Amino acid sequence: MSRPSPKLLHLTVSVPADIKGRRRSGSIVKVEEVGGRTEELLDRSAYLNINANWVNAKGAWLIHVVLVFMGKIIIDTIPGMTQQISWTLVNLIYLNLSYLMFHWVTGIPFDNELHGGAYDDLTLWEQIDDGAQYTPSKKWLFTAPILLFLASTHYTNYNPWLFAINLTALIVLAIIPKLPQLHRQRVRFLTGDASGVSTPVTPSFPRMDQNPLHATNPADAHFG
Amino acid sequence: MDSSTSVALEPVLSFLAFSLSKLESGFYRIPGSAVVARYVKSSHQNDPGRTILELILVIFAIRTLLQSRTRTDRSGKHFIKFSEKEIDELVDEWVPEPLAQPLSEWEQRDLSSVPVISGPNGPKPKLLATGKIVTNLASFNFAGLAGNEKVKERALETLQKYGLGSCGPPGFYGTIDVHLDLEREIAEFLGTEASILYSQGFSTISSVIPAFCKRGDIIVADRSVNFAIQKGILISRSTVRWFDHNDLKSLEDTLISVEKERKKRKGPLTRRFIITEGIFERDGEMVDLPKLVELKLKYKYRLILDESISFGTMGRTGRGLTELYNVPASQIDMLVGSVANGLCSAGGFCAGSSIVVDHQSCIKQRINGTSFVFSASMPALLATSGSEAITFLRNNPSVLLNLQDNIRAIRAVLEKTEGITLLGHRASPIIHFCLRTQQQSLAVTQPTYDYEAEERILQDIVDDSIANGVLLTRAKHLRGQEMVESRPTIRIAATAALSRKEVEKAAGVVKASVTRILSKRR
Repeated sequence: MSRPSPKLLHLTVSVPADIKGRRRSGSIVKVEEVGGRTEELLDRSAYLNINANWVNAKGAWLIHVVLVFMGKIIIDTIPGMTQQISWTLVNLIYLNLSYLMFHWVTGIPFDNELHGGAYDDLTLWEQIDDGAQYTPSKKWLFTAPILLFLASTHYTNYNPWLFAINLTALIVLAIIPKLPQLHRQRVRFLTGDASGVSTPVTPSFPRMDQNPLHATNPADAHFG
Repeated sequence: MDSSTSVALEPVLSFLAFSLSKLESGFYRIPGSAVVARYVKSSHQNDPGRTILELILVIFAIRTLLQSRTRTDRSGKHFIKFSEKEIDELVDEWVPEPLAQPLSEWEQRDLSSVPVISGPNGPKPKLLATGKIVTNLASFNFAGLAGNEKVKERALETLQKYGLGSCGPPGFYGTIDVHLDLEREIAEFLGTEASILYSQGFSTISSVIPAFCKRGDIIVADRSVNFAIQKGILISRSTVRWFDHNDLKSLEDTLISVEKERKKRKGPLTRRFIITEGIFERDGEMVDLPKLVELKLKYKYRLILDESISFGTMGRTGRGLTELYNVPASQIDMLVGSVANGLCSAGGFCAGSSIVVDHQSCIKQRINGTSFVFSASMPALLATSGSEAITFLRNNPSVLLNLQDNIRAIRAVLEKTEGITLLGHRASPIIHFCLRTQQQSLAVTQPTYDYEAEERILQDIVDDSIANGVLLTRAKHLRGQEMVESRPTIRIAATAALSRKEVEKAAGVVKASVTRILSKRR
């Protein structure tokens, strides 16, 4: 019985499923998962993540109402402000700021050393409640923009354009990023290969974005 | 036709109208319904399209609110939910397994083949099993310091002064003045600003690497680095790129490709490290240090050099590769060495600039040199033995010339032996040899080796040479745990404590054993 030759593991063990024969140009749009590796999960579970726990406090729920209220009042003080523009502005600013806070910025500002960079790829939304879906905070954060939108359409009479803008902003900035199907998925545009669009790679070419050490059996043996 | 269908549908329509009016009156009887009705009417604003969209939104929101909570990322995937009956069945079927699996026949043999030495270890120890004196070509005793009288005297003095244990980690009452002395002496010896002492040689490099390399940093490492370095890289969670063993062209290609990749991703400039060994423990190859330093400066990487084997053996006075190649030690960012191998004491060190050294000793918010912070520091007598060994090396550089002589003598004899190939650099104090196969010259395809059979043959050679008075050992590796499976080899550690004649005689015995065993096999 002869043992196989010394393996250069990243060439033989894990061949990615998307390489079928000759690889063509990189996709224009690609959805890929981030942050699911075993050692990242382990590093996250070492300590409590205070950067994501604060949304569970009831004060954090109330602050949305308070801020929107104050924002509306402040915007109303601007001379020459009609109700339509005022409500649209409140809606859009709320949606943009909450998108920036929950879905754009990744990583953690506090206690970064404790987790060793395990949260660097995750947005605040994905960190809340360790990635569980339909928790109370998430339900509130889901409902708040919808309520704001409904209130705004109730109190004004939008012309069709403003209605469309508000609705699209709501769907794109508030509803779609919060869907559980998009949890830890990233949509990437025009990812390049190692060699670029014009020179396709053959399957035996060592892939640049593969980390061979993580593909080894010893690592799996350690982490189950 | 028309009238007949309308006649047929009439009872249905009238029933519908009746139920609607019933619903309406019922609705208005609910308190607060008028408010809701007014709200809906004013929201509607005579635009049914808008109302339908808003209604869809409301239904979606209500559906979301009604969903139950799912499991977190952490627990989900590997958790199987059993029913009570299944749990009972599994419990009934359970048969306890022994804590340690019984050893296979090969493992049993491996275990019993480890020789037990009675009395102190040295160049000519006495075996417990047979009572015979054998020549020790297996233990690391490069400069012949094992059993050195001056070192023993000094160690006894220290033992009487300080006792044995150091009673704590270095940061927590475990640092003794002799540790500081040894650290200073190592730094002076090597020509670096400072050095830090670790209490175990193996865990030194696997603590130094994660102290500096974090997730998101880039490490470029040689494929055949030893197990401790591999573990250190694994712990550090950095991104690794491997280059071919001791191939500086491949290293340069890897460095260029890493830079290209970073530019393509437009990522920020992270810390980048090259990790390699001075003399590789796996096969005795030596790295070309000046070229390596040139590459490191050109591509702006930090160099972590593991001189576990080369410290105390290379160079005129044993300072290591920096002395051998005349490269200033300040060019190497972290110079890791072993006090256990080179100075015949215990532990390891990391030498570098004072910033590098201080970084490993402090805790701050994150633990840095883990083995330094959490392991007990080494006993005082081992630290003074190390200091004494450095003094010895400074004063007796001829010892290393003897070592090189002996290495040459061993290699000369073994090169003439049929059936084996010598690996490694010709000046390396570690001499590996493996079995020669017919495919040695044809490297067209990846040759397949039967490692288990080769190990058995090598073990036979080892047993035979022990029976004939030379203590040898195979290079032991954890099969299945290392990144690159290497061929089984026998590792000879040359020592300056033996005279040239003794070494030649011992090498002759080894050669005879090899020939004997291999001819039996044929």
